Amino acid sequence: MAAPTDRMGLLLVALLPVLFSIADAVDRSNFKTCDQSAFCKRQRDVKPGQSPYRALLETMELSEARLTLQLINDNNKVRLLLELYRLQGNMTRVRINELKPLRPRYEVPDVLIQEPPTESLLLLERDEHGMVLSLGVDDQRLIINARPFRLDIMDGPKVLLSLNSRGLLVFEHLRLRKDTISHKISSTVGSMWDKIKSVFSSKTEADAEGVENDVEQNEAEKVEEVEEVTEEEEQPGMWEETFKSHSDAKPSGPSSISLDFSFPGVDHVYGIPEHADSLKLRTTDGGEPYRLYNLDVFQYELYNPMALYGAVPVLLSHTAERTMGLFWLNAAETWVDISSSRAVQGGGDAPQTDVRWISESGIIDVFIMLGPRPTDVISQYASLTGTQSFPPLSALAYHQCRWNYNDQEDVQAVDNGFDEYDIPYDFIWLDIEHTDGKRYFTWDPNKFSQPREMLQNLKDKKRKMVTIVDPHIKVDSSYKIHKEIRSKDFYIKNKDGGDYEGWCWPGNAGYPDFTNPEMRAWWATMFAYDQYEGTMDNLYTWNDMNEPSVFNGPEVTMHKDALHGGWEHRDVHNLYGFYVQMATAQGLIQRSGGVERPFVLTRAFFAGSQRYGAVWTGDNAAEWGHLKMSIPMCLSLGLVGISFCGADVGGFFKTPSPELLVRWYQAGAYQPFFRAHAHLDTPRREPWLFGPENTALIREAVRQRYTLLPYWYQLFYNAHRTGQPVMRPLWLEYPGDPATFAIEDEFLLGKDLLVHPVTDEGSHGVTAFLPGEGEVWYDVHTYKKHQGNLNLYIPVTMNSIPVFQRGGSIITRKERVRRSSSCMEDDPYTLYVAVNAQGTAEGELYIDDGHTFNYEKQNQFIHRRLTFTEGSLSSSNLSPDSQFSTASWVEKVIFIGVPKPSAATLRTADGAESPLEFEFDPASELLALRKPGVNAGADWTIHLR
Amino acid sequence: MHFHIAVAVIIWAALFVESRKIRGISISYKRFYKERKSFLCIDGSKLIPFEQVNDDYCDCADGSDEPGTAACPSGRFYCTNLGFRPHYIQSSRVNDGICDCCDGSDEYSSPALCQKTCRNLGQQERAELEERMRMLSEGLLMKRQLVEEGADVWREKQAELTDLQKVAEDLQVRLEYLRRRKSDAGAQKEKALTAAQHPTGQEGLRSQIRAELPLDDHGQSLQDTDRLGDKDEGVEPRTDSAAPREESPNEAEVRGGDPSEDDPDVKAAVEAAESAVSDLNKAEEAHQRLQMEIRELEERLAIDYGPEREFLFLLGRCFQITAYEYSYTLCPFNQVTQKSQMGTEVLLGKWDAWDGPPEDLYGVMKYDRGEPCWQGPTRSTHVQLVCGTDSTLRWVKEPSKCHYAMELQTPAACQPQQPSRRGVHNEL
Repeated sequence: MAAPTDRMGLLLVALLPVLFSIADAVDRSNFKTCDQSAFCKRQRDVKPGQSPYRALLETMELSEARLTLQLINDNNKVRLLLELYRLQGNMTRVRINELKPLRPRYEVPDVLIQEPPTESLLLLERDEHGMVLSLGVDDQRLIINARPFRLDIMDGPKVLLSLNSRGLLVFEHLRLRKDTISHKISSTVGSMWDKIKSVFSSKTEADAEGVENDVEQNEAEKVEEVEEVTEEEEQPGMWEETFKSHSDAKPSGPSSISLDFSFPGVDHVYGIPEHADSLKLRTTDGGEPYRLYNLDVFQYELYNPMALYGAVPVLLSHTAERTMGLFWLNAAETWVDISSSRAVQGGGDAPQTDVRWISESGIIDVFIMLGPRPTDVISQYASLTGTQSFPPLSALAYHQCRWNYNDQEDVQAVDNGFDEYDIPYDFIWLDIEHTDGKRYFTWDPNKFSQPREMLQNLKDKKRKMVTIVDPHIKVDSSYKIHKEIRSKDFYIKNKDGGDYEGWCWPGNAGYPDFTNPEMRAWWATMFAYDQYEGTMDNLYTWNDMNEPSVFNGPEVTMHKDALHGGWEHRDVHNLYGFYVQMATAQGLIQRSGGVERPFVLTRAFFAGSQRYGAVWTGDNAAEWGHLKMSIPMCLSLGLVGISFCGADVGGFFKTPSPELLVRWYQAGAYQPFFRAHAHLDTPRREPWLFGPENTALIREAVRQRYTLLPYWYQLFYNAHRTGQPVMRPLWLEYPGDPATFAIEDEFLLGKDLLVHPVTDEGSHGVTAFLPGEGEVWYDVHTYKKHQGNLNLYIPVTMNSIPVFQRGGSIITRKERVRRSSSCMEDDPYTLYVAVNAQGTAEGELYIDDGHTFNYEKQNQFIHRRLTFTEGSLSSSNLSPDSQFSTASWVEKVIFIGVPKPSAATLRTADGAESPLEFEFDPASELLALRKPGVNAGADWTIHLR
Repeated sequence: MHFHIAVAVIIWAALFVESRKIRGISISYKRFYKERKSFLCIDGSKLIPFEQVNDDYCDCADGSDEPGTAACPSGRFYCTNLGFRPHYIQSSRVNDGICDCCDGSDEYSSPALCQKTCRNLGQQERAELEERMRMLSEGLLMKRQLVEEGADVWREKQAELTDLQKVAEDLQVRLEYLRRRKSDAGAQKEKALTAAQHPTGQEGLRSQIRAELPLDDHGQSLQDTDRLGDKDEGVEPRTDSAAPREESPNEAEVRGGDPSEDDPDVKAAVEAAESAVSDLNKAEEAHQRLQMEIRELEERLAIDYGPEREFLFLLGRCFQITAYEYSYTLCPFNQVTQKSQMGTEVLLGKWDAWDGPPEDLYGVMKYDRGEPCWQGPTRSTHVQLVCGTDSTLRWVKEPSKCHYAMELQTPAACQPQQPSRRGVHNEL
């Protein structure tokens, strides 16, 4: 849901001044450009050239796995400490901090799942110019060049990656403010504001204002003085900054960091979500850098590097030969510049991509993932920040949302509508209006007076609900949540030490400090059934507005000088949403005594957010461009670990035409998180409101989703185990084929389904690229066979959702689509065996109870390998240590692309053989085996002769 | 009616016992499932061994081989529902753990413990049906009355319109007369002024002017417009001459700067001219008002009040209902409004048209062109009409922002021979 638009009559009155500025948010002026962000401007004004940094080789210390070395800036003589680690799994970690910072600089906690295990570094050579270290794998070496400081990672004679090769390492050291008051009250370590804060605690507010006035006067006086001392360094915006009417006190002064990375030979880089932009990152020369700063952007624009709701500072580089990754572990406002050049190297025209990272505070802590294959980079990153949480099966089904379902009766009517029109759904969602005056964890006493009854009605149909719980808490002394947070002193503080307050949906609101583990533990307890009244086990949670959104804050978010304990909001900003979702997911786990898997949707996220649930692409619009954009946005997220991604089906703002709505359902049915959502101001758009034809089209799209749930579930299990994305760009599976590198209008699900949704109005056909020399692809609707490595024109009607199954794969479906996924739990499977040119195929089947942690804690699951080779299809156990019994059985086996057999025989584990009836369609080489009837967890073999 | 069904069900049940049970079919389908060696899919597409009927595998494209299982995607299951109404459910609802048939027959192999509720439902439905029938017959009686009342009102309104049109015609005559008088009086005034400015030898002219002054004319002519006089005192012949009037500067100049203004003849002529202008203006105003009234009445009479004008009685009435913090008022054929607790009133729509589906056009009223929403459309309201023994609003909702829906119950919406839902078979 949006930054404020119009609604809230009451709030409107109260917020008029705010809303006027928010109404401007539609245009870009509400958000900073690099030029308007002082540190970004300072850093970007530094042009490539000779770096002032020099490595002091004599300070080198090498222990088993860690090398340290001092760097000195020859201009100001400030020393930095460089740490190098070789990490297990072919990664290198580079950390740079001040050798002796005035006070500690922020290092991001909780994002890495563990201290990354290291491997030994071996010093190969050393002289007065630098040193060479072995990175273990093959010929990979790390070269440290002393003057100017530069790092090169080599593979044999080839440079894979260079750091500071353009001399853009800039580390703004912490310093004392050169004005009288700061000298007086902060003679040692600590910010002057910290001191002022302590003064506040014993003085009245009037006194406090007096201090502030003093400060301002002194600032005016100081200028000349400062210029004398460090003329070269003082630049505007170092000690305070104003954007629109908001000022940032910046008591700690300048603290930004920057480093450049060069990728010789690289033409394609990806990642650094979240941006509404193309999959392949574009050069930012002459334009704005990509910005990573979690923001609630009202009506975001497409093909724009502006920051959006989430930030994952991970970038992937790719060539046909090698894929690499950079993980820039920093939670402050970050900008990323990308430039590409072509250099004549060794007679050839070689591309190069240069990437420059700029962050406002913290330290340089970068993980270099050396691949070499794309899947290796993804595994490497997963080993650092963890994998996708394994969602309950039902969360992979269809979700029906709207801002807002008005009352219990409305919920009931919509629920009945789905039955009446025979469209399955699993979750119905309630947005902010369900609460008692935007007090989360409560229900509107009139409209939702009997929440348990409502939830029980849904449960009786094996359906579930999600309610929204946002992190802004209404300041209201009669509101339990607020009272407790205040009494426990869990609110974020403003720069003057009082509770930070901002405007959001409830009016005046406080923001709990989710960076505080005690706060998170308390928050988690609020989801207990006896705390969150009226709830039951089929109620799950949605965290919105957790950037955090502050309607009257700078850029609609929190003031950077707000305080999280000892740290400024500036240091932790991009982590806030991550922590909110973490604490909420923990709450859902705890309320079930650790038994049930949580399902939590978040809008803001950071690296590692994949561990806590799903994300969506925020407040999009009912426009064809937004439908198209949903693909690269989710692909980019998948590349950086966040598989459980979706866009609001139909578009949040504005009203979709029936055609757009149908096309969006068709695309959404094949994207990981499948939820329809709509803005309060838009007309109703439940699937049956657009005439019988459109209802039928939407029903069919949703049904296709439900038949494929076994495949989705297995893909998510795989994502959970390995981190490999569910929704993949083609180049991930076909890394050697440059034709795939920029494709963003189609995608793979796992490696076996290729989807090319129709995303153009009035389309009569799409051209899909079917990848892979020697691959064959089968249209899943017609079973028509197509060769790989070609562009295929597919004529489409309103019915069409172009989807292809890769020859060589086996996909499991459940074809008895019922009211909800839970109703299908015991239903039988149909196997789709699509053979490749060699006449073989393989696939997997994963089954568990669908909602608990028993798969993990008690090994209660079934994981089968399905293999078809030399005319025999067999099911074998991939996990002999696990146990689970399922009622599901194998109903049908469909072979695609096989010759007609003379007989088919089933052989079960006990050795018994029985003939199977079959039908064969020679035109499409389609063979359907009738009712093998074996249990889905058993060993068996089917022979075709 | 339901008696026949009950009998049919008993006979059907008796027959059923004699043959092997084919789960999920109705008696009329039994002929397709005669136990033979093989089974022909009902669409004729395929012949399968009879053992494959209801063997939990879908062989027939039309789903006919699996009437009693969930195997076929397009299949359907027949709930016998003894004691209630039999009906079909989608085969996907067989053994899904949710009780759909009141006899529980759809969950024959599932952990769901279905209560057998047919008897209760049957009783309930019979009671409801009886209540509905009672309400319908009562409602229809009331509707007859409303139709008659409506006819009376219609006649009255028609008569009113005829009256108004008559008055308008008369007023038209008078208007013409007044226009003429105005121009004559104007001419007289000119003459008098000319005479006063050239005093010699103008007596003849003066007396002529005096003779032509239409001083005593008003009362009689205005009688025709008495009806209008009720509303408009201004039509009285001689109002206070101090009443503000428009004067052309020219006129003022003539009067102010002219020595002839003391001349009694001139004075009389000027006054006569002024009064003629004033009378005409008033009559024209009255005429306009009258025309507007006629137009309004015509518009009201042009509204479709139903095939028997059974909804006409709603005209001029208003209905109220409160939902959460708002109270809503529907004035049929006029407008819908919403009032907040703080007292601000918002227009939710003005009468537009009947908006029901073709088969039930008078089932829905549409009100649109309400107050615009901020950055949104104008507010609108759809009112559904249902049969009842009194006229009252039953509920109001706002399904989407600024789109309202209400239900008005009224005898006028009662339709004879409402199709009974009982015993409906969705069979071939």
